[in-house]
Amino acid sequence: MEQKALMTGPEVFELLPQRPPMIMVDKLYNAGKQCAETGLTVLKDNVFCLDGHLIEPGIVEHSAQSAAVFAGYKYYLCGEKPHIGLIGEIKDFHIRRLPAVGEEIRTEVTILGEAFGMSLVETVSTVSGEEVAGGRIKIFIQE
Amino acid sequence: MEKQDLIAKINSALATEFEVDESVITPEANIKETLSLDSLSLVDLVALIESEFGIKIQGAEMVKIQTFAALYDFVYDKVR
Repeated sequence: MEQKALMTGPEVFELLPQRPPMIMVDKLYNAGKQCAETGLTVLKDNVFCLDGHLIEPGIVEHSAQSAAVFAGYKYYLCGEKPHIGLIGEIKDFHIRRLPAVGEEIRTEVTILGEAFGMSLVETVSTVSGEEVAGGRIKIFIQE
Repeated sequence: MEKQDLIAKINSALATEFEVDESVITPEANIKETLSLDSLSLVDLVALIESEFGIKIQGAEMVKIQTFAALYDFVYDKVR
């Protein structure tokens, strides 16, 4: 059975400072205190699509935006507009395969630590339950 | 957990995460200098302590922790 998303399409876009065609998250499935799960269905007109696949920069951007959506959702719950998140560092990032057009990449974001306006998050991305990418991303949220 | 065990666990975790020899981690040594931490990597230290010991460190608390001895005391006070 398909899992119902908390937010989809334009609702999710409101959580991000980016605008189309640079938006790389189209669903927020769940969000708790430390973890969230997002999704992106790969469309053939995605700017990071090449030869029918979402290429590496698109996967990294999707992962970073997943963390930004998580942060944006927290601001949304407080009635605030999303703050701009800047990638400070990407560490131990691995990509096992490129998602194809039509597939949905889902990413679980876990906050490992927060200090001095920065968040260290771990991302694990899957397609149909198979891990395709993941790593650690440090994000600085502008207040 | 005994304090000596806690210190050994902290030192081992720090040496692995920040790729330094455990012998350079001494109680009176400065954390930032010894581990070559910059403003970006301080959050790595916070995340490591949080994940290893299940405790939260606020930014303001971290600023006050300059030496490994201070870090040991802080973690010990939180976990005991």
